Amino acid sequence: MRVSLKWLKEFVDVDVPVEELVERLDMTGTKVEQVVRTGQALHGVVIGRVLRKEQHPNADKLSYCQVDVGTAEPLRIVCGATNFSEGDKVPVALVGATLPSGLTIKRAKLRGLESEGMMCSASELGVGSDASGLLVLPDDAPVGAPYAEYAGLGDTILELEVTPNRPDCLSMFGVAREVGAVLGRDVRYPEWSLKPHGESVDSQVAVEIEDPDLCPRYTARLIRGVRIGPSPDWLAERIVAAGARPINNVVDVTNYVLFELGQPLHAFDLNALARCDGLTRIVVRRAQPGERLTTLDGVQRELSEDMLVIADGSGPVALAGVMGGEDTEVSERTVDVLLESASFDRACISRTSRALGLISESSLRFERGVDPELAAVASERAAALIAELGGGEVAPGIVNVYPRPAKARRITLRCPRMNAFLGTSIASDEAGSILRRLGIVSEPLGDDLVCTVPTFRPDLEREVDLYEEVVRIWGMERVPSTLPGGRERVGGLDRAQRLERRIGVVLRACGLNEHIGLAFEDPRRVAACGFDLGEGEELVELLNPMSSEQSHLRVSTLPGLLDAVSRNQRHGVSDIHLYEIGRVFRTAAGRKLPKERVVLGAVLSGAWDRQQWYERPRQLDFFDAKGVLETLLDDLGVSPWRLEEAQHRWLQPGRSADVVARGEVIGWLGEVAPDLLAAFEVDGAVAAFELDVRSLARAAVGTRRYEEIPRHPAVKLDVAFVVPREVSAEQVATAIRSFGKPLLSEVRLFDVYADPDGAPERRLPEGTKSLAFSLEYRAPDRTLSEDEVRGVHERLVQRVCEKVGATLRG
Amino acid sequence: MDIAGSLIGLRDEALARIAQAPDLESLDAVRVAYLGKKGALTAVLRGLKDLPAEERPAVGRVSNEVRDAVEAALAERRAVLERDLLARRIRAEAVDVTLPGRRRPLGRQHIIHQIVDEIVDVFVGLGYRIAEGPEVELDYYNFTALNHPPEHPARAATDTFYVKDQSGGATGAGLESEVLLRTHTSPVQVRVMEKQQPPIYVLAPGKVFRRDVADPSHLPQFTQIEGLVVDEGITFGDLKGTLEHFVREIFGPDRRVRLRPHFFPFTEPSAEVDVSCAMCGGDGCRSCGGEGWLEVLGCGMVDPNVFRYVGIDSERYTGFAFGMGAERIAALKHGIPDLRLLIEGDMRFLRQF
Repeated sequence: MRVSLKWLKEFVDVDVPVEELVERLDMTGTKVEQVVRTGQALHGVVIGRVLRKEQHPNADKLSYCQVDVGTAEPLRIVCGATNFSEGDKVPVALVGATLPSGLTIKRAKLRGLESEGMMCSASELGVGSDASGLLVLPDDAPVGAPYAEYAGLGDTILELEVTPNRPDCLSMFGVAREVGAVLGRDVRYPEWSLKPHGESVDSQVAVEIEDPDLCPRYTARLIRGVRIGPSPDWLAERIVAAGARPINNVVDVTNYVLFELGQPLHAFDLNALARCDGLTRIVVRRAQPGERLTTLDGVQRELSEDMLVIADGSGPVALAGVMGGEDTEVSERTVDVLLESASFDRACISRTSRALGLISESSLRFERGVDPELAAVASERAAALIAELGGGEVAPGIVNVYPRPAKARRITLRCPRMNAFLGTSIASDEAGSILRRLGIVSEPLGDDLVCTVPTFRPDLEREVDLYEEVVRIWGMERVPSTLPGGRERVGGLDRAQRLERRIGVVLRACGLNEHIGLAFEDPRRVAACGFDLGEGEELVELLNPMSSEQSHLRVSTLPGLLDAVSRNQRHGVSDIHLYEIGRVFRTAAGRKLPKERVVLGAVLSGAWDRQQWYERPRQLDFFDAKGVLETLLDDLGVSPWRLEEAQHRWLQPGRSADVVARGEVIGWLGEVAPDLLAAFEVDGAVAAFELDVRSLARAAVGTRRYEEIPRHPAVKLDVAFVVPREVSAEQVATAIRSFGKPLLSEVRLFDVYADPDGAPERRLPEGTKSLAFSLEYRAPDRTLSEDEVRGVHERLVQRVCEKVGATLRG
Repeated sequence: MDIAGSLIGLRDEALARIAQAPDLESLDAVRVAYLGKKGALTAVLRGLKDLPAEERPAVGRVSNEVRDAVEAALAERRAVLERDLLARRIRAEAVDVTLPGRRRPLGRQHIIHQIVDEIVDVFVGLGYRIAEGPEVELDYYNFTALNHPPEHPARAATDTFYVKDQSGGATGAGLESEVLLRTHTSPVQVRVMEKQQPPIYVLAPGKVFRRDVADPSHLPQFTQIEGLVVDEGITFGDLKGTLEHFVREIFGPDRRVRLRPHFFPFTEPSAEVDVSCAMCGGDGCRSCGGEGWLEVLGCGMVDPNVFRYVGIDSERYTGFAFGMGAERIAALKHGIPDLRLLIEGDMRFLRQF
């Protein structure tokens, strides 16, 4: 909402500096987004009086003048205009002044004579369109005074952010009332007088409202014999100050009253409306299917049944509350005007405006809510102004169809409760006086105030709404700050939340950086990855996605993480270690809300670190990801768990596994399939895993039991088994453990060897590999002797060899 | 030559060799040569027993002196050589202390989650618990129960992502369905109040979605932190005091806070909260657009209509709620010029915080 301070001052005294007004408005709920001072451009333009006007000796079309601008010596100015004579007062741009066109006035020689300034036309000053000659001013213009000040051009425009609950502030008068409350000043009401003549409007116009829910009130007046023409300067200026464009006197008056009082009005050319037996019939109704209307902006609109139209006998003539029709608009030929001032349903106007993509000053106000009580007042105000400016006659009376008059609401404000609610001690008479300036009449009743809320404040429905009015004007900054004193509360994170934090801590300790990816997903990528949806499961589909690449919700963090890998590589970053904890989504037929799961995803690519002086970088692979996983599961106390070979479309066969904890698959780990890497434009291997966080939480042990710290030394023996290649390390280790009781205390794999393919020299039998284990034997109650251990060890080795088909490496 | 004389000769010879021994091994060889089982000095000493008895005391004294002198010289020389050896080792082991240390760089937490955790910790300290809700929400929780009228513009398909309803529920006019991506964390308020009677002290951080094209100041997905308190006797002053505490904890003890009345459908009274600009302290500068204040959150007292939806008696209980955007706080606190950096996963960005 643009507010001209000059206009505002007609209704309320603003006797504080603009900065203070802005601050007070900000702090009472009307944010001032911008302050613009107009008229500044004419700095350096003063009023001058032409003392002498002579012919320029060297140019036929120029004159050479002496102009008094209030200084000791008159200025000598060369001028090309002819419409003035000695003694005339004109605006003079002094040397150094900059005109709205950007022209800066300099001392200049024109055809041999020096010119010390420039006398200006209205067009040069940007105050009118007349460029034919100088702007000759009335005789009483004070010589030497700044022109902008004399002409009243200096104004301050406040751009206000009006919140949706305050439709009353979408008018100059409404803002004046708010400013009055904020500054503690009373407002002045605009005044007018109306002298109706001729035949009463009732006998010429009939109005019918078919749907009173959508149009609670419709009024019409007639003004006959109007002379359409340009608006006087004061009116045109106001229209411009409010941010609109002057059109003609009648249209400008309707806009003026819209800005002044907040009531959108529409003027029809009466003679363009269909008439039957001398009667103009206005019907407010829903549009019929297929109906069309060309609106004032020249666009033909297809109407639908949920839109409200104003119709005459022939069809729609205006889109109610949004925009008038082109065929019935006021033009130069208009003589008689039918003035509509009505009230329409907020939701209906909002829907219509949105559906047509058509926003007008009128629709903006109706969709926020216009006080139905205002319709007749604003109509009278506008009719009086049209008659005054356009010289027409206002027909007596008003057609006023108002089936359900708005009623002022009565609300009791309990001052003690208000103070208990706010934490304040505001006296009830202080509250009463704040409310009075806002237009709310209150009567004391004990400690309470019985308030009558005017119809222009539809937002004030409940007692608490009045608390807000009081506290915002009284000053939120004056409310003492306290902390809640409730007794029954204990803060903290629950187990799942703590676990999620712990996961992050461990992964970061492992060197992974946290990423936050978008939840959106491209279904084609899901298909390319081959993520398996469960039986009957579907992707979650957006109805209004931003693009086809973001049309669904993700089922895995992997594609987003691969995107990040690719993006990093494109930027020259090759060592990438990322994790993300976020939700993934699936739905199924019959479900309203999808299933949301929190997953932990991670990717490793490149090396842990760049080349260092102490070691060479090593490319990260499957076992680096598994190492991170081991660290994490170990920290969380997940036991037992293992990796099981598994086939996943998105992982490279042979480097692909499920993570199984306590018998449940809780995720997967592996190296991303080469074709997928190519599809994501990723170079090099990417090791990745994804775990279901809730399953992880289930598998994590809450409490760890103390285990005795060994007091007796252990005996360590190493053994290397040669096994067929398909025997897993886990099979051998499990066998060792199963035969080791009770003395075997630790088993650690420390070497894996297989002859490289095509090696010229074979160190192992074809198709085998060597797994070397370090075994630790220990008894809890004594020091073991070498001999005792050797016997146990040899038996164990033999049984393991039999169990897994191993031989010993020589 | 008498024995005493030869002892003195051996002593002088031994002392000279000891003094010249270049290292510990040579020194040990000298010791063996004189004091070893077959050493020269040992042999002489062994011969003492063959001396006449009257000569023995005198010669014995001399021989003891000689042995003591040799042993002392050996010990002294050994100490010198050991010191030299250590000094050489230390010299040899000296490093360039300016070489980088051996390390595996720690990973970093995303700046948004650092901020969220920091805020969570402040409110946990004030006795709040953490609440969560679904990211795919029902219109009822996201709008209706938060007192948004049916025609509220936030419901527009241009602003809110709608999700296909698989339950066969009718899709309303245009694209709107009853299922959507939550546009704020406020629906968690409603879900908490539906499940729990007061006292309620919860904080709800989470992702939210708005249909904005990603640009330097907008993201289609961002992070909000919602707070809700419902109890007997909660006042607007409590809201103010709580937020002032929060702002000082997060932005620093010197920052000032102001509440500007505002409008939100689900709170009454409502306010926006500004923090004094860190750069100018409130005088107005370029970084705060000349205002001296930076808007960081919205807040208000829980609207009685919201209490009505969840069945809480608004005469008995009062409450407040507040919400803020973690991305905005990150941008303000850390000077992040383009919010898109937050979702790109660029290691060079992530590793800065």
